[in-house]
Amino acid sequence: MRVLVVEDNQALADQLATALAEAHFAVDRAADGEEALHLGDTEPYDAVVLDLGLPRLDGLSVLRHWREAGRAMPVLILTARDGWTEKVAGLDAGADDYLAKPFAMGELVARLNALIRRAHGHARPEIVAGPLRIDTAAARVTLAGQPVRLTALEFRLLAFLGHRIGEVVSKTELTEHLYAQDFDRDSNTLEVIVGRLRRKLGEGVIETVRGQGYRLAAGG
Amino acid sequence: MRSLAFRLAALSALWLALGLGAAGWFVTETMRRSVEQAFDARLGALLDAAVAGAGFQEDGAPAMLRPPALAELDQPFSGAYWQLTGPDGRIATSRSLWDQRLAEAEATEGVSLSTMPGPRGSVLGVAARRVVPAGADRPLVVAAALDRGPMEAEAARVGRIVATLFAALGAGLAAALALQLLVGLSPLRRARRALALVREGRAERLGIDAPSEIAPLVAEIDALIAQNRATVERARAHLGNLAHALKTPVAVLRNALDAPSPDLAAARAEVGRLGHLVQHHLARARAAGASGLAAPGPVPLRAAAEEIAAALRRLFAGRGLSVTVEGSEALRARIDRQDLAECLGNLMENACTWARARVAVTCARSGEGMVCVTVEDDGPGLSPEDAAAATRRGVRLDEAAPGSGLGLAIVADLAALHGGALALGRSPLGGLAARLTLPGG
Repeated sequence: MRVLVVEDNQALADQLATALAEAHFAVDRAADGEEALHLGDTEPYDAVVLDLGLPRLDGLSVLRHWREAGRAMPVLILTARDGWTEKVAGLDAGADDYLAKPFAMGELVARLNALIRRAHGHARPEIVAGPLRIDTAAARVTLAGQPVRLTALEFRLLAFLGHRIGEVVSKTELTEHLYAQDFDRDSNTLEVIVGRLRRKLGEGVIETVRGQGYRLAAGG
Repeated sequence: MRSLAFRLAALSALWLALGLGAAGWFVTETMRRSVEQAFDARLGALLDAAVAGAGFQEDGAPAMLRPPALAELDQPFSGAYWQLTGPDGRIATSRSLWDQRLAEAEATEGVSLSTMPGPRGSVLGVAARRVVPAGADRPLVVAAALDRGPMEAEAARVGRIVATLFAALGAGLAAALALQLLVGLSPLRRARRALALVREGRAERLGIDAPSEIAPLVAEIDALIAQNRATVERARAHLGNLAHALKTPVAVLRNALDAPSPDLAAARAEVGRLGHLVQHHLARARAAGASGLAAPGPVPLRAAAEEIAAALRRLFAGRGLSVTVEGSEALRARIDRQDLAECLGNLMENACTWARARVAVTCARSGEGMVCVTVEDDGPGLSPEDAAAATRRGVRLDEAAPGSGLGLAIVADLAALHGGALALGRSPLGGLAARLTLPGG
């Protein structure tokens, strides 16, 4: 899962990036409205955390622009002004959820996970594929009841396939949603990660569809 | 046209010009008529004298047997003339006519008056009459003429005098009017100067002794200034309270973090307290701000609820909740628009959080001049004790549920501030029924 964090306060942006990385998200950052607008227009994010008070271009304008351009990724608004007038304005502009500052990092991660789940049409945080259970909220994976230790990249890949369970996901799409912009991909190619996942979860869990991509089989 | 003085002056000037013009015209005409009457009287007298003296010589030629006693009749072209015309066309004239003749005038038994050119470019007033002299058997036309020139000159002189007098009168009135405006409007100028002083901070209030028309305005402005000052004082006091209230938790926080082994649990607790303080003071700031303002305009109740409902449907999109709003579009509440959004937002979000599948919002009239919104859900609801506790600030009924625990208390505060009330009860749907009553508009 790849998310964009738009926040001009450096300290808060750092905290957000750290917390989201710990929750196994690939995180891109933008510090002003114009940069956010550009990134949101060109990169396929699974969710956006958007501060409203931004330099150069305010958050609501960025959001409105995205929605008019047909960008439908879930957007969670961060705002210091938590009056209902502001909330209604944000939701009207196309936000999916809001969080008033100050907020607890855990709540932000939980809400973001819920938004991504909702966008993929899953009501519950747990994805089940045979003996494999992926808890997207807690970032935990169990195989036949036994916990499996996964790296952030491994979990991210598995969760992305899990959200699209039963569907074939192309390598290009996987790559786009797996890595942050500035990530060094050389030693962590898709094939290597899939190989490591198969060693940990068993060969049959992730199917290779020749020439098309990968699939997480619903039956495991 | 925006100036009060200009409006007053323009209106008065219009009346002044009309009135003085009409009066001047009337006076001039009257004077002229009296001058003309005097002229006609002189002309009549001359004709009478000429008629009385007219007769025939033995040879039948007309002649002035007893000339009128007027010296001018013997001076050539003096301006006074007579002329007798016999039935055979023979003519006799006064010496003053010299070699000239008066044009033949239409003469009847009565006196006929006419105006005609006379000798040397003069204009003559002529009176003529056909008479049979005493002791004669034939009629004779007697004409008497006077130069109108001196009379016209007199009339013109009178006209000039009247015009000059009235112009002077008009100028005097205009000056008086201007003075009156200047003096009459001076309290307004003084009020403006006093207000400028207040704005510059050099005076506390207007405090001017104004005439009774302006005194209420001055009093209102002074009251407004006092109210503004009170609001600012409240805000300043509130800000001071906030700063002081923040000091202790900040100190505890610093100590907890500065310790050799930081006490993270204590720090977290203090941060929680800080968050609550900020929430509490924000809510109070809204209330304090609202109490100092003018009465808010009526806000359409249902439209406001629909707006919140649309936002909440998006917010709770994953839950498949049905959020309905019902009631008349015409209902209006006397409350600040943002405060209404705050009340409805808190109540409806609370309902959405607890509801299983349904949230119903109903707008209705409620008794004398009041309107109410009822927000109902099909969730677990509140016990009467919990309901009573929920409207007290800072009490959080369920730590696990989202929200600050201030929501219902803030709604109750805002409602009370605007002269309304919040009542919690049980809904026929099974959950909580929150009934917000507000003054109607």
